[in-house]
Amino acid sequence: MTDQPAFQAEVFQNEYLPADSTVVDAVVTVTASGSGPSGAAPTVAQVIMIDCSGSMANPSTRMSEAKRATAAAIDALPDGVDFAVVSGRAYADMAYPEQRQLVTASARTRAAAKKAVAQLTASGGTAMGRWLELARTLFAGSAAELKHAILLTDGRNQHETPEELAAVLSACEGQFLCDSRGVGADWSGAELRMIASALLGTADGLPDPEDLVDDFRSMTEAAMGKSYAQVSLRLWTPAGSTIRFVKQAFPHVEDLTARRHEVSARIGEYPLGAWGAESRDYHLCVEVPAGAVGEEILAARVSLVLGDQTLSQGLVRAVWTDDTALSTRINPRVAHYTGQAELAEAIQEGLAARDAGDVDTATSKLGRAVQLAEESGHTDTAKLLARVVDVVDARTGTVRLKQKVAGVDAELANVRSVKTIRVKNT
Amino acid sequence: MAAPQCPACAAAVTETDVYCEACGHDLSQPAPAVPTAPAPVASRWVSSSGGPATCPGCGGKEFGAEGYCDNCGQRRASGMDHNELQLGGLAAVTDKGHRHHRNEDAVGLGLLESTVVGVICDGVSSSNRPDAASNSAVDAAMPALVTALDKRSPAGDAIGAAARAGQAAAALAAGPNPGSNPPASTFVCAVVEPDAVTVGWVGDSRAYWLPDADGEPKCLTVDDSVSARYAARGVAIPAEIPRSQAGALVRWLGADATDTVPHLHTFTPSGPGRVLVCSDGLFRYRPGAAELAEAAPRIAPLATAQALVQLALDAGGQDNITVAVLPYPPQRGDEHD
Repeated sequence: MTDQPAFQAEVFQNEYLPADSTVVDAVVTVTASGSGPSGAAPTVAQVIMIDCSGSMANPSTRMSEAKRATAAAIDALPDGVDFAVVSGRAYADMAYPEQRQLVTASARTRAAAKKAVAQLTASGGTAMGRWLELARTLFAGSAAELKHAILLTDGRNQHETPEELAAVLSACEGQFLCDSRGVGADWSGAELRMIASALLGTADGLPDPEDLVDDFRSMTEAAMGKSYAQVSLRLWTPAGSTIRFVKQAFPHVEDLTARRHEVSARIGEYPLGAWGAESRDYHLCVEVPAGAVGEEILAARVSLVLGDQTLSQGLVRAVWTDDTALSTRINPRVAHYTGQAELAEAIQEGLAARDAGDVDTATSKLGRAVQLAEESGHTDTAKLLARVVDVVDARTGTVRLKQKVAGVDAELANVRSVKTIRVKNT
Repeated sequence: MAAPQCPACAAAVTETDVYCEACGHDLSQPAPAVPTAPAPVASRWVSSSGGPATCPGCGGKEFGAEGYCDNCGQRRASGMDHNELQLGGLAAVTDKGHRHHRNEDAVGLGLLESTVVGVICDGVSSSNRPDAASNSAVDAAMPALVTALDKRSPAGDAIGAAARAGQAAAALAAGPNPGSNPPASTFVCAVVEPDAVTVGWVGDSRAYWLPDADGEPKCLTVDDSVSARYAARGVAIPAEIPRSQAGALVRWLGADATDTVPHLHTFTPSGPGRVLVCSDGLFRYRPGAAELAEAAPRIAPLATAQALVQLALDAGGQDNITVAVLPYPPQRGDEHD
C-alpha cells in the first residue's frame, strides 16, 4: 500500500461583511502530513548548473567549495535518478556527461560525475539564461515526472541582457523547477528571486562558501522527498466576482495572480510545483457582488489538485450582517500576511531606491520595513535590515541609511525579503 | 411469477420502486438479518423543509455538495420562502414576510391513529444559518415525536424526545465547525389527544387554545424571554435592562444552547376548539389570546392559516410568519395532502 500524505486545508477569515461591502479576504493553510508515498513517489531528474566564471577562482575556496557542494548533491541522488552537471560561463557546457543528455545515477556514474566536476576550472563570464536553456534542453528529453534544477552563481548576469534572461525563463516555465543560489558577495538578489519565482523554486544567498555543501545536499534531498510532482491551486469564484489577488503567503511571498490558467468560466488553476510533507499558506482576495444583510454566499472554493484529483479543499464564505461587532473584526492571519507582503515590497522598493540614489524614498520604505518586521516579530529580517540602516526607533520605523554597507548585505536583504513567518499563536 | 414484494417486510412493491413504501427498505438490498418492522401505517408526518430547486439569486439549477449555487455562490435556503402544508384535518402555512431575506421558520405536522401533532421552529436571525437550524430541528423532531407516541409514550415524554432530537440536529446544522455564532432555533410542539392538549417549548414561539364556544381563548406557552420571565414572576423589568433587550431569548436550541429541556403544559379542553401554533411573526401583531381568536376565522384549517399569515403580511410582515392549525378533538380528516 502506498502511504499518501494526508492533505488538510484550513481557512482563516472573517466571513462577516457590513452591508454594501464586497471584498473578501482569506488565508488558506494547506498542510500535507505523513511520510509520503512509498510506491507512488514521482520519478525525478536533476540538473546542477555550477558557475565556472573567472571570479569563482577568487578566492580559491569558492570554486573548491562549489565542487564539494556539487559532489554532495551528486551523492544525494538515489540510484535511478537521471541527472547532469552543467558548467556555466558566458555560455553553457556539459560538465557531466560529455553528451548533451541525462545519465542515470549509479555508483559508477556518480563517481564519474564527481571526477568530472573536480576537474572544472574557473574562467570567463556569466550568462545564466544560457545555462537555463541548456537545462531545458536536457530535461526536454526526459520522461521524469519531477524535473528539478539547482543554479549556483557568484556574480551578476553580465553577459546577456535582462530581456534575454526573461525570454529564457518564460520558455522554461512549467518545464522544470529551479532553486537558485548566490555564493560570495557579488550576486544579485533580484536576479536570483526572478529565476526562483518563475521556476517555482527557492532563492538564497550564501556569503560563506563553506555553507554550500549542506545547502546543496538539502536541496537535493528535498527534491527527492516530494510526494507530488505538479500540484495546482484550483479556485472557483462566483459569477460577477473579480479576483483581486492570489498569493502564496508562506513560506515566502509569491504573487500567483497572473499565473492563472482558465479551466472553465468559474474555475482557474495556478501551478504550485512539487509538494512533499510541508505546509504553505495562501492569501486570496476576491471582490464579490454586494449582498443583502442576512445573505450568505460562497466567495471561493479553494482546492489543491493533482490533475483532476482533489487533494483537499477549503471554502471561503461571505455573510452580510448589520452587526458591526462581527463585521469589524479583522482576521489576525489575514492582517499578518497583508503586513508580510507589504514588508517584502517595502524592502525591495527601499533597496531599489537606495541603489538609484533616492535617499528619501529609501529611508521611508526601509523605515516602514523595519517597523513591520518589528511588529510581526520577524527577527531574521529585522537583523538583515539592521545591516543596511541604522535603526533609531523600530516601533515608529525611524531609520537612517548606513553610509557604508557591504554589497552582500543589501543583496541578502533583497533575496530574503520574500521570506515570511507565520503569525504567532495566540 | 409472484407479485414483487419487499424482502424486509413483505409489503407489496412495484417494479419501479427504489425504496419500500411501507418500511423504507432499500429494495436493491436483501433483507436485513433482523427484519425491519413496518412503521405503523396510520402514522404520517410532513414538514416544510426542502430548499428551492432554482437559485433565487441567479436562476441557476446546479448546487454543489455544500449547498451553494454553482454559478453565483448563493447558499441554498433550507426551506421555501412560502410553503403550505395539509395533512388530513391539519394545516400550516409559512411565509418569509416582507423584511427578512429568507424564511427561517420551519413547520411539521403529524397524524397518528387518534392524535394529531404540530411543531414549529423559528431560526434565530442573529445566528449563523438559522434556516438550517430550524428545518433540521423540525425534520429530526417530527419522527422522534411520532415514534414515541406510536410506542404509547405519554405526550410530555414524547415532546421531550422530540426536543432532544431537534436539539441534536440544530447543533449539527452548520457542520463540525459552526463558528462563534452557531445556528439556533426556537421549538414549540403541540400534541392534541382525545382527552388532552399538551404543549412543550424552548424559546418564544407559541401555542394558543382557541375554543369554539365554551371557555376563553388562552396562550398555552410562556416565552423564554427576559421580559416574559419578569412578567411570570409578577415584577417589573428593572430599569437597567434596555428595552431593546427585554425581548431577548433566554433559551433556544443549537450548539451553544445549555438548557434545552422543553417547558410542558397540559390541559383538558371543556369543548371543541383549535390549537394554534405560531411563530412571533404572527403573534407580534395579535399578542393577546382574545384578539388572536377574534382574528382567526372559523373556516377550514388551511384557509384559517392562510388568513392569519395574510393578516401578518398586511400588518407589515416584519418577520417570518408561520401558523399551524390543529383541531380538537383530534380529527384525522381526509388524507389528502
